[in-house]
Parts: sequence; structure tokens; C-alpha cells
Amino acid sequence: MKLAEKPRRIAVLLLLAWAASGQAQEYSFDAAEFEKKPFELGGYVELKQEAFYLNRAAAFYQLGFLDQPQRERLDRTTGTLQLTGTLRQGIGTFSFRTNSEVRRDQLAHDHDNSIFEAAYSIRPSPGFTLEAGKRALKWGKGYAWNPIGFVERPKDANDPQLAREGFVMVDADWIASPGGDLQTVAFTPVLLPVRDNVNSDFGSSGHANPAAKLYLLYRDTDIDFAWQGKGSRPARFGMDFSRNLASNFEIHGEWARILDSPRPVTDAAGVVTNEVGNTTSYLVGARYLTAADTTYIAEYYRNGSGYSEREAQQFYELVDTAFTTGNDALIQKALSLSQGYGRPNAGKDYVYFRVQQKDALGIVYFAPAVTAIMNLQDRSYQLMPEAQYTGFTNLELRARLLLLHGGSGTDFGEKQASEKIEFYARYYF
Amino acid sequence: MNKLLWLFLCFASLPAAAVDGTELLKKVDRNLEPETYESYRKLIDIQPDGTSKESVLYTMKKGRDKVVALFLAPPSDKGRVTLRLGDNMWLYMPEVGRAIRITSLQSVTGSVFNNADIMRIDYSAEYTVEGMEEQNDAYLLALKAKTDDVAYDRLKMRIDKQFLLPVTIECYAASGLLIKTLRFKDIKDFGDGIKRPATMETDSPLQKGYKSVMLWSGLKKRDFPDEVFTLNYLPRVQELRK
Repeated sequence: MKLAEKPRRIAVLLLLAWAASGQAQEYSFDAAEFEKKPFELGGYVELKQEAFYLNRAAAFYQLGFLDQPQRERLDRTTGTLQLTGTLRQGIGTFSFRTNSEVRRDQLAHDHDNSIFEAAYSIRPSPGFTLEAGKRALKWGKGYAWNPIGFVERPKDANDPQLAREGFVMVDADWIASPGGDLQTVAFTPVLLPVRDNVNSDFGSSGHANPAAKLYLLYRDTDIDFAWQGKGSRPARFGMDFSRNLASNFEIHGEWARILDSPRPVTDAAGVVTNEVGNTTSYLVGARYLTAADTTYIAEYYRNGSGYSEREAQQFYELVDTAFTTGNDALIQKALSLSQGYGRPNAGKDYVYFRVQQKDALGIVYFAPAVTAIMNLQDRSYQLMPEAQYTGFTNLELRARLLLLHGGSGTDFGEKQASEKIEFYARYYF
Repeated sequence: MNKLLWLFLCFASLPAAAVDGTELLKKVDRNLEPETYESYRKLIDIQPDGTSKESVLYTMKKGRDKVVALFLAPPSDKGRVTLRLGDNMWLYMPEVGRAIRITSLQSVTGSVFNNADIMRIDYSAEYTVEGMEEQNDAYLLALKAKTDDVAYDRLKMRIDKQFLLPVTIECYAASGLLIKTLRFKDIKDFGDGIKRPATMETDSPLQKGYKSVMLWSGLKKRDFPDEVFTLNYLPRVQELRK
């Protein structure tokens, strides 16, 4: 009897020991596993599938699909590899972000390799940093738009959090904490040279393009003053602010003035006038979080260099006349003007509204959202319902639908596509 | 029932000659952490089905109300930095390239721990002592938030009499609703006179079945310049690690 019980007791003890070790392992943590390394590499791979439902009557469809097989729908598959890395030695750090894409749809198969950022920085003291290389500086407090984003590529209001390619520049950062009401002061001077093969898409060649930003944290309010001198682009200056009115309610705003800014405006016959004048853009917005973890973001954007409803309609009439008559000269003129008239959010007045629910339907890491952008002048709009799930370690899944609504001659009614379905899976490493 | 217990705690204060509640709270603050320190923490978020998600943070604190936390893992969050200056909180995401303001009640990790738990500053900086009760092996402190911006309106803190360290903290909303309970465990010697719980667990009646655990490692005194606790420094916080 005793002999029979002994193996059973040993088995129970082994089981308890195994369970105890499992418990201990579950909660073990040693900081030594996370020591800083001289070289670090990370990033993500992403597979994205998009289906565009094309609007063949729209102006930008006709311009975009000129001399192409006409289609009702376009399916595109995109594979993306984004690599980020850091190399450290002494007080110097070299960091980079690359972006490689392979795209395939029924019309084309192409690829693109870009260096988004690659810069070397030295920090002689905690309050001073000097950097040189390609950097993506982001200025402004707006969520969807940034009127004071003077030294960066435009943000995509449909995907504001997407990494963007930077510009080659030399910049510095000086930080001080005086204390009292003025909690922080930081000054960021920038030189952004444009040559034939450096930053050529920033503006005209042969300019050093000085710019600067002064940041203050004053009485719990973030305040920035930004400036860019005349050079490849007209001179401009502006400011922004952000402040919490309550712990769950934030307000922000931006204001920018561009001096002697040229703006090509066409009439319906294709007669182009290059208007030069000072333009003012501004943005006001708020973010509110409810006790149920619902986030609301609302912004109004006045685009000073944008086109009014009447100006945009003249352009759409030009495109219509060009394609109806088959006048090649008018088509070419419309094509050359489409860079300005066809840029994202080229209108004058927009509102942006987004509502996102965290852990919806009781599912942790599941976050559905709806985003709406409306052109206030012509009342056309787009709606974007989406669902995101981040519950699998290092994997992000997002599906969304883009529904554009507007009549003929309106901002969202003249886009290439009237609907878009998109899904991506992104794996971080 | 909770309100009755609260009233009892408020009126059961010890005479002035006995232990002073405010001083006790300050001692608890210093026993938990030095005023200025660095530490590593692992956050484990456990779902009702047993699956879990882990995050690792490098944290720096200076004075009573300056905290920076840098995410070292998982890869999807790596490089994200949160900054707290008093009631102000920001999140910097390297892919976005700038910081946005966040609130104390949100959770950047999707955890039962919210931002106020992850970037906690001294309890005595945020709360006043409203009442205290002495028991055989513990003190019970009733704490009230100094401003409306604090994440929890009231706390009930049970303090171990021997170590003067918290054992449990119940966190209540202004309505009297219990939001969560924090449980401190595994008192460990971190060296340099720092002896404190290495584990904190939490669950919430509002998120039934979910549990979060916070583990400490490498907690030590270290001084930092004020410039570190600014928005402009957030992209470079990683370089401060030794």
C-alpha cells in the first residue's frame, strides 16, 4: 500500500513543482534582457489589398485614365517593407527609416524604394542636438492637416499617422526648462537646401531655405511659433497651440500666413491667371474622450491657397469641354493644372470628424471608427468606416471602406473613384 | 456600502499626536521609489481566455511630477514615448514624428492599467489625506484627489505597518464606483536602500475577466537634467539608457 502511494506522491509533488515553476516563469522579468545595443533594427512588413470602384464620369478619372484601357474597377495589391534602424557610437547616433513597396494592379506592376529618413545626430549636452541628413520634421498640432508644416511633405488626411518621406536638411535643437509658468523653451533652426538633385520637389533650385520653430510650454499650454524664409517657396510664418481644458478634452489650433504666394486659376475656357497674394490658412480642432473610451476628433480647416467652389467648377467645366470636344491642347492644359486642382483637399473649407471606440463589443484591442471629411462649400463629402484589431502580438489588421459622395462639379464627386475597399495586415518585427 | 466605509474611514482619524496621515503618505511615496530614479517595467495584460500581451518600458522620474516612459517592446510599440508633467500627458510615436496630448484615463497599452498608473507620480502630489485608521498590522488611508484632473477621485490605501508600503489600493470614481484594485506583492531588495514590491496586479469590475500585472526590475536612483522631460527630447530618450 505504502509502496503504491509513493509514486503517486512523487507525481503530485512533481506536478506542483511544475505548476509553481510555470507561475514563476509567467511573472519573471530581468531588465538585463533589454540592454541598449549599439545597433538596432526593426520595422514592419505589410500586405495591402485595395479595390477601387472608379467613377468614369469624374474629371480626375478622365485625366488619370487618359490613353489607358477604360475600367469600372481596379484591384491593387501592395507589399511594403519598412525598416528602421539606429547605430550608436559615443555622443553620435545614426538613425534611418526606409520604405520599399511593390504594387500590382490590372494596369501596372511597379516598385519603389525610398529612404524616408537617414540622419546623423550629435548631442554634446542634453539640451543641445545637432543633426544632418534626411529628416521628417513634423510641425503643427492639427490631426488631419498642418498649415504650419513648412518643412515637410503634405499629410494624407485619410491616413494622418502614416510615416512620410523627409527632406535633406541640417537642423539643431536647443532645449531649456526655466521653470515657473514657462515650463519649457525649445528652439529648432533648420536649413533645407534645394539643388537639382537634392530636395528638388521642395521648390525652385539654388536656395538654402532657412526655417525655425520656437516651442513654449507656458501655463500647461503648448505653443509653437514657426517661420520659413523666402527661397524655393514663398516666405511664411505661423503659430499653433494645444491645451487640455479638462483631462479628457483637448483643444488645438494652427494659423499660417504665406506671403506673395502664386496661385494658378483657370476659367472654363482654359485661360489661366497666376494670382499672387498673401494667403492665410488656419485650423481649429478638439479631441474628447468619454468614460466609455470613445474618442471624438473634430477639426475645421480653412485652406487659404485652396480653390473656392466657383473656381473648382470652372476647372471641371474645362475638363468636360476638353474631353467632349477632344481638344488636345485643352486636355494638356487641364492635365498640367490637375497638379494643383487635384492635390488632396484642394478646396477652401473642410471639416474633419472622427469617432473611434476602443475595445468595442467587449473585444479588447478591437477598435472600430468612422471618419468623415466634408468640403463645406460644395457639401460633397467622404465617409470612411473602419475596423482595426491589434490583439495578436505584433500583428495589426485593418479593414476600411471609403465612400465618396458628391454631385457633378464637386470636390469628392469628381475624384477618380467613388468607393474603395481596403484591407491590410501589418507585422512588426 | 462603499460610501459608508468611506465615511467611517474619514471620521475614524487618529488623534493628532498619533501617526500623521500626510507624513505617512509621503513616507509611502519615498519607500516605493526614490524621488528621482530610472526603472524597467514589464506590463502583462491577461485576457479572459488566458492569452496575454506583454510590454516593456524604460521609465525615468524626476521630482514629484515629471515622468517619461519609453516602450522597448513589443516591436509594434517600440520607440513610443509618454511624457507626464504634472497633469499634462503626451504620447510620441516615432512613425508619426510628433507628440499628441493624451489623458490619464486612457491606456496606451490597451491594459487595465491606464496612463495614470503607468506614469504614476507621487501619491502625495495628487491626493490629500482625508482620514486614517490604524489596525493591528496595517494603516488604512482615505485619499481625495486634489483636482478634477486626477484619474481617480478617491483612493483607499492599505499600508503594511512594518514596511510602510501599500498592500492594496482601491481606486474610486467621483460617483463612488470602484474602478479597480491595485495589489502590491513580492517585496524585493533593489539595492541602494530601495526595498519595495516588485509586482503589482490589478483587475477591474468594469473589465470582468481581464487582469494586468506590472513587474519592476533595475530600479535605481539616477538624476536627469530637466531638459529630458520636454517634448523636443522625446525622440532621443532612448539614448539615455546605459
